[in-house]
Amino acid sequence: MPTSDPVAAHFAALGVDEALLGAALEAATAHGADAAELFVQHSTSTSIGLADRIVNRVHTSVDLGVGVRVVIGDQVGYAYTEDLSLEAVLRAAATASEIARHSGASRPTPVGVRAVARNLYPLSRSWTDVEIAERIPLIRHWEEGAFAADPRVRKVQVNLADGESRVLIARADGLRVTDLRPMTRAFVSVTVEDGDKKESGSYNVAGRTGLELYDAGRQERLVSQSVHRALRALEAGSPPAGELPVVMAAGSSGILLHEAIGHGLEADFNRKGISIFADKVGQAVATPEVTVVDDATLPGARGALNIDDEGNATERTVLVEGGVLKGYLHDGISARHYGVTPTGSGRRESFRHPVLPRMRCTYMEAGPHDPAEIIASTKQGIYCETFSNGQVQIGGGDFAFYVTFGYLIEDGRLTRPIKDVNLVGNGPKVLATIDMVGNDLEIDEGGWTCGKDGQGVPVSQGMPTVRVAKLSVGGGR
Amino acid sequence: MSDALMDLAEQVVAHARRHGAQEVSVAVQEGSHTEISRRDEKVEQASESSTRRLSLSLLVDDRWSSHGTSDLRPDALEAFLARAVAATRLLEPDPDRALPPRELCGRGATEEHLDPFDPRWRTWTAGDRAERAEALEQAVLARRGDDFVSATVGVSDGSGRAVQVTSHGFADASEGAWFAQGASVTLADEGGRRPEGHAHYAARYLSDLPDLERIATEATERARDAVGSGPIASGRYPLVLQNRVAGRILGTLLGPLSGGAIHHGRSCLADKLGQPIGSAALTILDDPTIPRGLGSTPWDEDLLVARPRTIVQDGVLQSFYVSVYYARRLGWEPTTGSRSNWVLPAGTRPWTQIAAEHDRAILVTGFLGGNANPLTGDFSFGIRGRLLERGVPTARLSEMNVAGNVLTFFHQLTELADDPWTYSSTITPSLVFEDVSFSGT
Repeated sequence: MPTSDPVAAHFAALGVDEALLGAALEAATAHGADAAELFVQHSTSTSIGLADRIVNRVHTSVDLGVGVRVVIGDQVGYAYTEDLSLEAVLRAAATASEIARHSGASRPTPVGVRAVARNLYPLSRSWTDVEIAERIPLIRHWEEGAFAADPRVRKVQVNLADGESRVLIARADGLRVTDLRPMTRAFVSVTVEDGDKKESGSYNVAGRTGLELYDAGRQERLVSQSVHRALRALEAGSPPAGELPVVMAAGSSGILLHEAIGHGLEADFNRKGISIFADKVGQAVATPEVTVVDDATLPGARGALNIDDEGNATERTVLVEGGVLKGYLHDGISARHYGVTPTGSGRRESFRHPVLPRMRCTYMEAGPHDPAEIIASTKQGIYCETFSNGQVQIGGGDFAFYVTFGYLIEDGRLTRPIKDVNLVGNGPKVLATIDMVGNDLEIDEGGWTCGKDGQGVPVSQGMPTVRVAKLSVGGGR
Repeated sequence: MSDALMDLAEQVVAHARRHGAQEVSVAVQEGSHTEISRRDEKVEQASESSTRRLSLSLLVDDRWSSHGTSDLRPDALEAFLARAVAATRLLEPDPDRALPPRELCGRGATEEHLDPFDPRWRTWTAGDRAERAEALEQAVLARRGDDFVSATVGVSDGSGRAVQVTSHGFADASEGAWFAQGASVTLADEGGRRPEGHAHYAARYLSDLPDLERIATEATERARDAVGSGPIASGRYPLVLQNRVAGRILGTLLGPLSGGAIHHGRSCLADKLGQPIGSAALTILDDPTIPRGLGSTPWDEDLLVARPRTIVQDGVLQSFYVSVYYARRLGWEPTTGSRSNWVLPAGTRPWTQIAAEHDRAILVTGFLGGNANPLTGDFSFGIRGRLLERGVPTARLSEMNVAGNVLTFFHQLTELADDPWTYSSTITPSLVFEDVSFSGT
């Protein structure tokens, strides 16, 4: 009964069959391999935009192809093709197999088919069944809401993007797994004018879900938060310059973890010895208040994954517990290197890219403190609320994130609003000075994309309110 | 001559029109990309692929859309086009969308002048690539000291060809090849820090790449420059902005210069045309016709003839980046919607000589994070670099930021050095600014 077999349904949808996969895996492992896989992917996406009070642009995209990877120890051969004919796939497989030509390795032993039972992102309706005409009223509704929210709103732009990616992973060890991955993100951006002052603000929500993401609460926040952020920016001034205590608000402050420690715990950097966290498993790397998790299993989260991109089961991975480093984020190569079970962190942007260990949804567990108490006990510093981007130097440990809005803290109170400032620090130094962790963990609902080696993957992040003893605040004053 | 890409593009134009589109612009691109990296004296990763993608924009009853696909199977493509046209019909009319007048479209420089394809690429083999990667790795390892942790080198190249066809009679093709090579070095430092240094280069012609010894030396020296680094006191210092990283700060001008930002009220430079936006030392040329230039192109994103253009002359703003669409929206004449090569004319003195006139200055050699707000002009970037005392590099700097505002910062540009950096589409010498705000301790 092919229709009840999800793997068979994917074969049909992708236009491949077991004969093609088997022949390609045979070619890929012709010179031996520790591991080899085919990553077959078909993606569709739609993005609709509104500007100048008209729904005036749509972009649609289709991508189809297969990536072939052959692994020998920590060596990787990779090739891909958008042509799924037997001839083209065999050619890609032969190219990828070259890495093993003189290795003397044997072929992986088939261990049989395993299945992934759970589905973290069930769809009541596929995005491909949602008509454009159903999306347009949502976009209109958000635009009208933004104009109605305040007379100072002058311009509104809205974008609604969605899509689905169907993947099939066929491994030389016999594994055949499939996953149907939805994704959607809505973005509202407004420009406000008050006298001769002009500012902009935006808000977005995202998830690995269907149209049901846009419930009343999220729709309301898209409108009210984008307007609120633009209006409050009118009052915001230039931040100070120099080292200051920093209080990170709950939610998207997870960007601090992502940069200060998340990347440094990706196992490829550690097996190569080029991360500042290499050789530190079992050691204290943060204050005892700090527990850091990277979790692929939050239903509907942008970073959620049923399986990773080499077919391994995903999990909730505890990276730091009570300040002690527990382990790294592993793909198959690093898991074999360290002799551990993969954490399901092997990810890639598409079939055009080889797998790398990556974050999924990174957050800090809640602590004991009332967030108001954290602010009240901070004599002087800054409070960071919204962010745009960050970066880290893996080996040196220096990291940065850009704060789009926050407040000065003076005598334990939030006072003057501030905006547009880069903060820098050193990962281990900062983690060692997190002295208060709030009881208000919040996973940010916005759509974050993480870049590494030129590959972007969707991620989530979260944080309770947290205080850091000092960061260098890049203000102009 | 049979041309499969051109045939495909022309078919797609015809099919889209049959489905009901009045105007169509189609691009088909194909390319190949090969890369080899080495670490620990063996190949770490070898990849090789060829790729093909079709993109198109459509005008259906005054409604506009854009689309892309790599699924070029005839049935799939036909269904894709039908859906694309149907989706476009559901939009609201936008009368400012149309193909640009045919007479404005075309080729600026000839392929012969642009010289984007090194014939050497056709004879460059996997063996050549492997040999070069090994030689680069050996050059890096020859510089190993006691503090060496790891080095990765990469050698890559590729070529591409793109055809452009429109329903109003434009049909042309361009192609190019590129080569790149680079090294990353990690060294040991106090407190478990493992600072990195990178040196990566790209060029249209293989022979234009610097020699391997230079790359190995630079990657190693840049890593060493980060050993023992840290912040110094916050304050205002002269800034020496190294040529190869200056594009990051110059790029803060791009957002506010775009027609889209101006139209949407998000540009701090919207009312500055013809006015000074920098000191008299600031001149920026946009030149898409530079032979072998990494940002060179025969036509722009709207297929308008690509021509050299002065963006800033002696500090005075001469031109915005206005695409055909935003020109109609604004009621202006289009310039071009996208930048090509940026060229800042070089000065006459080395930066070391200029810096020697200052007691203390900060040499910025790299950035970490940071961003700019095009509406207000505020920017703030993390930096690494050196403290210069009478031009002599002393303290190694990190965990610091530089901040400013686009509207005032470029007025602080005092001099351009004599060292134009050519391995980028931003061809600029090192830039010297006075009185710049740095945050540290």
